[in-house]
Amino acid sequence: MCGIVGFLDKTKSRTTVGKIVLQMLNALGARGPDSAGVALYGQKKDKGMVVQIKLGKQKEATFIVEQLEEFGTISEVKIVAEYLRLVISLEVDIASFLKVVESLDPGIEVVSLGAQLEVVKQVGTPKNLESTYNISSFTGTHGLGHTRLSTESRVDLSHSQPFWAYGYADLAIVHNGHITNYHTMRRLYEQRGIEFHTDNDSEIIGIYFADQLSKGMVLQEVLEASLTDFDGSFSYLVSTPDSIGFAKDPFAFKPLLFTETDDFVAIATEEIAIRSVFSGSYTVRESQSKEIHIWQK
Amino acid sequence: MAEIICDNQSTRHINLQIKQLINQGETTFLIKEPKARHNLGVAILQPVNITFDGSVGYYCAGMIDGPTIRVKGSAGWGLAESMMNGTVIVESCVGNGAAASIRGGTVVIHDDAAARLGVSMKGGLILVAGNCGYMAGFMAQKGIMIVCGDTGEAFADSMYESVCFVGGEIAELGNDAIIEEPTEEDLRFLTLTFSNYLPQKSEYLSNNVRKYKKIVSGRKLWNFNKKEREIWREAL
Repeated sequence: MCGIVGFLDKTKSRTTVGKIVLQMLNALGARGPDSAGVALYGQKKDKGMVVQIKLGKQKEATFIVEQLEEFGTISEVKIVAEYLRLVISLEVDIASFLKVVESLDPGIEVVSLGAQLEVVKQVGTPKNLESTYNISSFTGTHGLGHTRLSTESRVDLSHSQPFWAYGYADLAIVHNGHITNYHTMRRLYEQRGIEFHTDNDSEIIGIYFADQLSKGMVLQEVLEASLTDFDGSFSYLVSTPDSIGFAKDPFAFKPLLFTETDDFVAIATEEIAIRSVFSGSYTVRESQSKEIHIWQK
Repeated sequence: MAEIICDNQSTRHINLQIKQLINQGETTFLIKEPKARHNLGVAILQPVNITFDGSVGYYCAGMIDGPTIRVKGSAGWGLAESMMNGTVIVESCVGNGAAASIRGGTVVIHDDAAARLGVSMKGGLILVAGNCGYMAGFMAQKGIMIVCGDTGEAFADSMYESVCFVGGEIAELGNDAIIEEPTEEDLRFLTLTFSNYLPQKSEYLSNNVRKYKKIVSGRKLWNFNKKEREIWREAL
């Protein structure tokens, strides 16, 4: 059992997206106390990419920054808890950059990369996220959130969600369920040289999106294809810089509700997450089996 | 009428207040600001009237026997699960497993129902004004389900003695489900049911009542003979 949430502001203004996603997550805290995280979309960085790096055990953040200066101009550096956050005008391709970063220290991991996307996740409840990272101060247009009850894989930062679509800028996913053909799919990806960072089956959804979008498919097509490519129980959300979407498995095993008003779209595992944040009159509907949906900003 | 404002009260405390007031003789309740809390109004065994002034979460009205419960919003998974008797009305949509395993009573849903509506129902009446999702009526043993809109796939799969009526399109019939021509008595029953429970839509629904399909079990999956069947029916 996990809780997932998504929010998109339709007013084309920047809002307190961090606060909204966090409030929604808090309402679902009982669905998973193991870890919590958010994927938020802020103002586009014109001259760079925001990189969220989970630090390793051996090297200082300053050493990492020094090593990365040759890949572009680093305009912002911030170290909070386990993360090094930097903004870099990336002058090499993403794959090369990731390879270098993750060779600098065992345990180091790029948790997100994008002109707008920032992923922050950690072990513990959603409330802990706020006290460490001040998530509620983040302004932007949309975002995802996840609170996790681990059923199969380890409880640590890496195995937490959201997952960035590793190697594909600005795309993130959150998932509630089990991808039961995960091992089969993972083996096929690994045969192609694609690297996994965790044993969490949800990680494969991000990798699947990165792979399919890189082949030229559009988001709608990937969502549709996922209904047959994935086995098991799943309700997942996916986000890009200008959209947010979801898919639900053919057997409707996992809950996922949504509402759309003139001002916003809210999606959550339980309606309580929506009602606890948004007042007023609107209809919330449980999604049906095989249902997919995409909303644009 | 007793009014309870949920505010920051726990579900346990809200349910306890309802039961204490029933014991004191109160018969009508307005529960304000439920904000989709789970497990509200469960195991109410008296013929009281309870209105939730907003959406409710999972298992609302579960295991009830006799009350009339109205939800002025939507309801989460497991609405009215295992109810014995009473009436549950939801003015918006409901989540998965609504009216699962009900033994009696009436569940009315003004909008759509999600997956597994009325699975394993053993009596009662379910009326959905909108559409229903995947696998509605799975292994339903007795009782009547009416869906005015469309159904999802695997509709009425492995059903026993329940009878379903569908006004819209059936995405796919489940195993051993077959379509029969509704009788004139069936059509009179549908018209009366619309009039009783969906009065605002009754005229439109009744005018289209001849479009309804009747779905029953094909009885090919039944693993008992006619003699056993009578024993089984007696037991129900």
